[in-house]
Amino acid sequence: MENVKPSCCGTLEGSLPGQCASLVFPYVPMQCQGSERFEPKDGLAVGTLFPGLRLPFFREMQTKMGCDDTALCELMALSFAITELGLYLDTHKDDKEALELYRQYVAMAKDGRQRYEKANGPLRQTAAGSTGTWNWLDNPWPWENEGGRR
Amino acid sequence: MFVYEKRLQYPVKIKNTNPKLASLIISQYGGPDGELGASLRYLSQRYSMPYPELKGLLTDIGVEELGHLEMIGAIVHQLTRDLTEEQIRTAGFDAYFVDHTAGVYPTAASGSPWNAAGMAVKGDLIADLTEDLAAEQKARVTYDNILRLSDDPDVNDVIKFLRAREIVHFQRFGEGLRLAKDKLGEKNIYYMNPSFDKGKVEK
Repeated sequence: MENVKPSCCGTLEGSLPGQCASLVFPYVPMQCQGSERFEPKDGLAVGTLFPGLRLPFFREMQTKMGCDDTALCELMALSFAITELGLYLDTHKDDKEALELYRQYVAMAKDGRQRYEKANGPLRQTAAGSTGTWNWLDNPWPWENEGGRR
Repeated sequence: MFVYEKRLQYPVKIKNTNPKLASLIISQYGGPDGELGASLRYLSQRYSMPYPELKGLLTDIGVEELGHLEMIGAIVHQLTRDLTEEQIRTAGFDAYFVDHTAGVYPTAASGSPWNAAGMAVKGDLIADLTEDLAAEQKARVTYDNILRLSDDPDVNDVIKFLRAREIVHFQRFGEGLRLAKDKLGEKNIYYMNPSFDKGKVEK
């Protein structure tokens, strides 16, 4: 470790790519296109679709996600993947592969949503009433148990 | 416009009543680095953002934070919905209980009600996005601290999910700053306020 000079940046040297970021400007590198990804359900369990952004705390215990193979969990996983890819695309709008995957997940979530609503009632208010009753009001509400229907 | 979806982003299923833990976790509902402040910060900062990537990022993260607010509310509700007479006296929840019973109120764990002074809208994209980077870190540390204090696996499962989201949001805000810097194309990035002076300043 001796004689390792800390890297430093001089006047107007900061124009990445290269050794230097700008002086007086915070630097977070862009995540690469084509970064490794989890499947939606594994991503939901750890809170990110990208292994590169997974940095757990030492006090985290091994917990089992309170989600199994129900239609709700499937929908949560897909919706999560959509949210995550949507944020990624906001800063990587030219990543065609991510865009394609986003469209795929949206199509799958549309099916999943219909399956869920048929069995458990409306997710959005506009899906209510197909039974001839105002089932939007039916319990449980999301905070009452597992985030949706039992 | 917002459309409500009758589900949580991530499941919250808590078996054991624990008012003491609820009185700590409420900080992520209405505390200085909580989810209410996060969503209001981002959804309010949007208006002065000059670039579409930043308008989109602040909108989308701001909306996700509203979903996190709902999850924190669900945790607090489920930790306190079955309170006994004994627990309201002895479980470290009495001060909260006297003001709010078992309702969910935006307050810090230390007792101060939610306050807009805990967030900022500066109307300058570099200042605002730098604040957002710090905000994500502060929320991450609050979740770290909750993980230190909580032994309930049902709660910690949700907290670790929320913590992971702070890290992802930090990355995206950092990327937003990089994109903005590239678009500015200035050697002196502090020559003007790109949210206010763009198109007004002669080069």
